[in-house]
Amino acid sequence: MTAPLLDVDHVGMIYGLGGLLRRRTLRAVDDVSLRLEAGKPEILAIIGESGSGKTTLARMILNLVKPTGGAIHFLGADVTRIRTNRERMAFMRQVQPIFQNPFEAFNPLKRIDRYLFISARRFAGARGRIDIEAKADKALHQVGLSLAEVKGRFPHELSGGQLQRIAIARALISAPSLIVADEPVSMVDASLRMSIVNLFKSLRDELKVSIVYITHDLATAYYISDRVLIMQRGKAVESGNARAVLDNPQHPYSILLKNAVLSPEDAGKSMTPVGAAQNSSVI
Amino acid sequence: MISAAPSFAANAEPAAERVLTVRNLRAYYQTRYFGISREVRAVDGVSLHVDRNEIYGLAGESSCGKTTLIKTIVRAIRPPLTVVGGSVTFNFTGRDRDIYALNRRELENIRWRHLSYILQGSMNVLNPVRRVRHSFVDFAYRHMKKPMPEFLQLIESHLDRVRLESTVLDAYPHELSGGMRQRVTIALASICRPDFIIADEPTTALDVVVQKDVLTMLREVQREIRSSMILVTHDIGVHANVTDRLGIMYAGRLVEEGRTVDVIRNPRHPYTSHLVSSLPRIGDVTQKRGLEGAPPNLANPPLGCRFHPRCPLAMETCRAEHPPMVDVTPGHRVACWVTAPPKQPVAVQ
Repeated sequence: MTAPLLDVDHVGMIYGLGGLLRRRTLRAVDDVSLRLEAGKPEILAIIGESGSGKTTLARMILNLVKPTGGAIHFLGADVTRIRTNRERMAFMRQVQPIFQNPFEAFNPLKRIDRYLFISARRFAGARGRIDIEAKADKALHQVGLSLAEVKGRFPHELSGGQLQRIAIARALISAPSLIVADEPVSMVDASLRMSIVNLFKSLRDELKVSIVYITHDLATAYYISDRVLIMQRGKAVESGNARAVLDNPQHPYSILLKNAVLSPEDAGKSMTPVGAAQNSSVI
Repeated sequence: MISAAPSFAANAEPAAERVLTVRNLRAYYQTRYFGISREVRAVDGVSLHVDRNEIYGLAGESSCGKTTLIKTIVRAIRPPLTVVGGSVTFNFTGRDRDIYALNRRELENIRWRHLSYILQGSMNVLNPVRRVRHSFVDFAYRHMKKPMPEFLQLIESHLDRVRLESTVLDAYPHELSGGMRQRVTIALASICRPDFIIADEPTTALDVVVQKDVLTMLREVQREIRSSMILVTHDIGVHANVTDRLGIMYAGRLVEEGRTVDVIRNPRHPYTSHLVSSLPRIGDVTQKRGLEGAPPNLANPPLGCRFHPRCPLAMETCRAEHPPMVDVTPGHRVACWVTAPPKQPVAVQ
């Protein structure tokens, strides 16, 4: 049997807070396991409120921070054992990030095509201007743009939806097998949001890319993901088939989350509080 | 040009007390560099009204002019933003006053006492080097005309209303979580029991659980002090749960307005229909589509209906003439040639 694409095995992340006196620890991620099979592309949604450890988990999968407990294996190799530059480049070619805010992800003083060209040169091994531009153009076509629209533009000249598409195109240049998307649509307008979400679907179906989709929006998670993992205060509290879990959540926290979703169907009804505001003491 | 005649006067409920009336408001960003002048028509002919004890919602994508519109309404404008035409009239003391006719002193007296404004990104409006208590004093003390001990007591009882303990008064903003800071800002904006509260994206940076609590509280406070409110957000789910009436903006113009239930359940403008139908819902697995194309450049808006380049229903008239706001049912106004054609010939200016 081949090794799984991604195997997150009981990982934990403990941050130390404070100085020598009054030292405290914060368990940002506590004993979380998940697994994505190779050759079976799927979208796994990680759902939770702010401070539930979703982003820390994503950063560990991307090997930006090392877990303080447990291990993460990518295609059988332990990601924390990456030492040489060559190994790191090989890993980055396979695993690519997409960040939350497209306006902050790009340097406003640099032309946007530069990011595509650097990725094409470093990750896709393109040499020479024609080859580099061809690779960038191909990736942009996969997200519904073309190099002609983007070339020479600065980030401020493009809309949030376009920038997020370019960020996705950049991630696609190296033909990755896993994309980690941290709240990719929360800064994108409602009217453009669905086109980005549909794009993720087509990446899974056509390019066979697995996606870890981090969000607090249960509705889009329900719409695109195959499986969900619900996190609360660093712990995974419920996981399973996306539709099954979100249609009929079992854990009290999952039920709380589902009840907090404001749906357009509620128009005309009066709203009841979900009751999370009780812990309002000063941290 | 066809006048977008304010049609609200005819269908007003007689009992409702009108607090804000905006007539044909136009506000442009006018710049002039090296002899090249540029005009961005961010708000172009908006008419609306808000009654007492009513929450009016404003929705639309970014850069459609929502924030510019409310900045203009509260007269928090500075160049290059200029009001080109129209009027904003508030009725706080039984008398209509145009906010642009007030002098500086009168404006200061109205602000906070009668009209308060929760800014966009309200998590970050608190002064980072002042304790929360001092922020309250800085903002509200001079408007309350009460001795200091009484004022401080009042703050504590008011914080209780948004379910915050009085210990937050001694905290610095960075010591509080996002939801708590948001609630502090709501408390700040409502402490003087203003007649009118304007909230610009009050919950955008919050997660779903905290968002619902903050909105519930905002609504409770509003109902208790019977003030009017304008709530700006692009989240239709929030509007459905909080607002009484809803206006949809597109490219600097109001394209649809009516009771929130009517607008969401029975949208008439193609843009609104798209906005509502594209929302994913739990329990719904049908394929949703994003809207193709980009919003128009407001420095050079398209002729006619501004939505026509992206509209699936566009016809010849849409490309040439701007549709007027037409009542489809009492109180539900739409600007669209296709779904709401004017019944009688419209007056040509």
